[in-house]
Order: sequence, then structure tokens, then C-alpha cells
Amino acid sequence: MAEEKDNKLSAYLERLKQQAATQQHYGGDITPEEAKMDIRDCPKCGAGRAFEKGLTACTYCGFVFMDIKLTDGVNIKKENNS
Amino acid sequence: MFGFFNKKYDNPALLEEMKTRQERWFAFLDKLEARMHELTTAAIPGLQEIFNQDADPYKRAHSNMLQGLLGQINHMRQKANDIQEEQIIDFVYQAEAMVPVVTSTVGRDYHNRIMNFRMACLNRHYIFDEKLNKCMQRLQQATGARDLEAAYQEQLRAFESIRDKFSCQQCGGNITIEKMFFIDTYVTCPFCHSQNTFSPSTGARMVLHDARALAEQRTAHLRQAYEESTPRDPEREKVYLRAMIDEWNKIIPDMAEENEKFYERLLREQSFHHFK
Amino acid sequence: MSDNPLLEPIHGITLEDYSAACAKMGSGLSEADIAKALGVEVPVWQEANLLWPERMKQDETFHIVTLFGQYFGQADQHPKFSNLKATVSAEGGANTDRIKSDKSFYEELEVARQVAYEYGLDGAQWIADKYGITLGDFQIAASNWNAQIHQDIAADFDGYNERQAAYKAKYQQLFADAQGGNVADDIEF
Repeated sequence: MAEEKDNKLSAYLERLKQQAATQQHYGGDITPEEAKMDIRDCPKCGAGRAFEKGLTACTYCGFVFMDIKLTDGVNIKKENNS
Repeated sequence: MFGFFNKKYDNPALLEEMKTRQERWFAFLDKLEARMHELTTAAIPGLQEIFNQDADPYKRAHSNMLQGLLGQINHMRQKANDIQEEQIIDFVYQAEAMVPVVTSTVGRDYHNRIMNFRMACLNRHYIFDEKLNKCMQRLQQATGARDLEAAYQEQLRAFESIRDKFSCQQCGGNITIEKMFFIDTYVTCPFCHSQNTFSPSTGARMVLHDARALAEQRTAHLRQAYEESTPRDPEREKVYLRAMIDEWNKIIPDMAEENEKFYERLLREQSFHHFK
Repeated sequence: MSDNPLLEPIHGITLEDYSAACAKMGSGLSEADIAKALGVEVPVWQEANLLWPERMKQDETFHIVTLFGQYFGQADQHPKFSNLKATVSAEGGANTDRIKSDKSFYEELEVARQVAYEYGLDGAQWIADKYGITLGDFQIAASNWNAQIHQDIAADFDGYNERQAAYKAKYQQLFADAQGGNVADDIEF
């Protein structure tokens, strides 16, 4: 009787542990990623984006990278508007 | 005058019923307590194992397992509450309705006995509830808090080791990342002035996520000093909040301006709560 | 327009944009999808995503967070996201429509989701597996039913509680059966 109960408890715990370890989490696993560097050239004329010309439009052909007005954020500031 | 209210009232069946009911109730709670202790003690090693092997930055596997265990303990709480309602409280109402009115001598005697029964049963339940909360606490504290300080120091070292290993994607010139970033940001090549996009590692992003919790861990002693003061001392709370925000700002200097605004709000609420 | 500075757009991203974006992220859209729909690049989106919650934290009137909830519920109507949907099965699509139009269905699944967590499952994933409803759509439904449910509670508190208790009992039974019973099922008074 007592043995049966102990078995039941350990079976429950084993199952709970297995379930915790193997079940899929909403949003999926988080795969650790390394830091990386990237760049976006103008898709229209191929020119790079120069710092002093701002982030929002291509200084050469006028291509609009972002159709918004940058405000003062964390690292991006008003001055970064083209 | 006629002695109606002093007439002998005797109900041995009721007394016997109270006695056995109380014994059954105590035995029932004894069994539940034994089971929740067994469950808690048996669960802790597995819970710790899952915590230690859970690579997820949010420790979701551990959190799910813990929720499941707490769910079972709560199920026992629910079971005890339901039985108390059906078998103790309802019974007390029925018994009180059955015996003579409390204003008579025999009535008073029986009402006292019923009250004693009720108190004994509720006190036993109170003790059960306390023990249940202890078990929940043991499960919650089985793994201790995550060592956020160690994780943070590791990220600082990781950043130092990679900060000058990047190059401009336009001209190939070497770019040193000026400070630790926690979200994607633009960095300018010092040679060709092109705007590169820097994406921090997952570990660095987690520093931002955990920054407040780490600041709270660092200033836990001040919070404790505030919480232990009676009556709660608003000056100590201010000392704690200021120190916590300072630590937070040290971890994420980029957010200092926003944190200060949040601090202002906390102060406004503090004066509201203490002086209302 | 409101003159509340806390409602000023962040990098051109309004609170309506931000709220809808959050709902759509919960439905499985990536940050890149979100940024593209809003006409910005990812670093700009990430700043807005960091700063809008700060605005909410700074606002002790809870006005911003209340509006956030409203706009979140209207995410499906937001023009910038109207053509963007994460892929779901036909059944998932039908259930997603139903949860937004059938209050009892929503209430039942909300209880089911919570009970799933109490049995050690990832409740949001359970809903997604079983009904094909994303967390984002679930939260949109929650935000849309919220006011109605408060009215129901005010009108008939006991009735509401009875329905909730019945759902709870149903799903406790379901999840308990799946794990071979509750730990203390054999203990009786």
C-alpha cells in the first residue's frame, strides 16, 4: 500500500520533470547569438549611408530608408534625420 | 417559572458525532500534511536539476515545473477548504440549530461545546495552512535566486574581448565599439563614416532585461532595512530607492534619463502613500 | 490631438503603432516584419520598443497603459498591419475568429490556459497546439472582452463565479487525468 503510493509519487515527479525538460515553450527556444555587424546600402543607387547625411534618406539619390521623423531616443537622436 | 429552560437536555449522539468528526478532520489534515511534505522533499532535487540544466535565459522549464508543483499543493489547499466548508462549517450550523437556544443554561453548555469543536477544527486548519505555505516557500526557494551579478560580470568580460574585433562592412576599416550596447544600434565607421548596424549578443541583451533585478539584488539590504522598520520609515525607503536607481543606472547608463523619470514617479507615489 | 507629452510619437512610431506591433509580435511576426510594416529599421523599432514601456512606467495616471490596451485590441484594424498575418491553419483561423466573437469560448479557454500552467504546462503553447490560437490573438480577445466581463461580474457576481468554477473543474479533471491523477486524490475525509 505504502509502496504503491511512493511509486505513484515518484512516477508523477518523473513525468513532471520530463514534461518540463522536453515541452516546447511558446515563442520557441532562444538560441544564443553572437554580436554582429551589418550594413544597409542604398538599394537604389548602391551608395553607403554617411553619418553626417543622416539615417533616413540616401544623400545621393534621395531613396527613403525610413519614412518617419526620428526623435531623441536612446542612441538615435533628432540629428540623425537626413 | 416552570423550569422549561432548565429542563435536562441531553444529546449524546451529537457529542459523539463532534468527537469523531474532529478526529476524522485532524486525521485527514495529518494525511494531507504528510503527503505535501513527501511531495516537497522528493521534488526538490529534480527541481534543482532542471534549474541547473535549463539553458533558457528565462528558465522557463524550471518555472513550468515549479508551477506544476505549486498547483498540486494548491490542489491540497482547495481540497481541505472544500471539506472544511462541507463537513465542519455546515455541520456547525446544523448542530447549532438543533440544540436549545443559547440563552438557556443547557443551551449555553451545548453552544459552548459546539464552539469549542469549531475553534479546535479551525485552529487545526490554520496550522495546516501555515505548513502548506512553508512547503510552497521551500519549493520556491529551492534553487535560490539566479546569480545575476556573475552573469553580468561575465557579459562585461565578453564585451571587452570582442569590442575591437569588428570591421566596417563598407570599407573594412577596424571599428571599436565605444561602449556596451544592449539593443541594436548604428555605429559609424571612423574611416569612411558609413553607418553600420551593430547587433549585441543575446547575453548582452539579457543584461538590459535583468538590470533592475540585479540592482535590487545589490541593494537588498537597504530594502530589508526599510521593510523591517516599524512603522515603515519613508526615509529608509527613499534611501533604498535612490541606491537601487543608482545601481540600475550604473548597469545601463543609457537608460539613466528614463530611470530618473521613473524614480520621480516612485517618489510622488511614496509621498502619496505615506501621507494620505 | 492630446497635448500630453507622454503620447508624442517615438521616432515617428505612435502609441497606436506600438500597441498593434506588440499584438502582432505575440502572433508570431518577427522584429524585422514589424519594423518593415512600420517603415523603420530594426534599431529604430528596438528603441521605440524600449521607450514606450518607459512612458507607461512614468505615467501614474495609467492613461498610457489604458490606451495601450485599447489599441492592442484594435490591432487587426491597424492599416499598417492589415495585410500581415502569421500563417495559421484553417482550424486555427476559425478558432481565432471565434475567440473574438464568442465570449464563453474566450472565458473557457482563459481558464483552461491558467489551469494548464497549474499542471506544469506552458499554457500559451497548449492553446496554440490545441486550438491554433496565438498568444497575440488571445490577448487581443482578452483586451476586447475585458469591459464586457467587468459588466457581467457587476450584474451577476455569483453566476460569473459559478461558470468560472465549472470551467476550472473541467480542466483540472482533464489535466489531472493526463498526468495520472492528482498527488492527493487518494486522501479522503
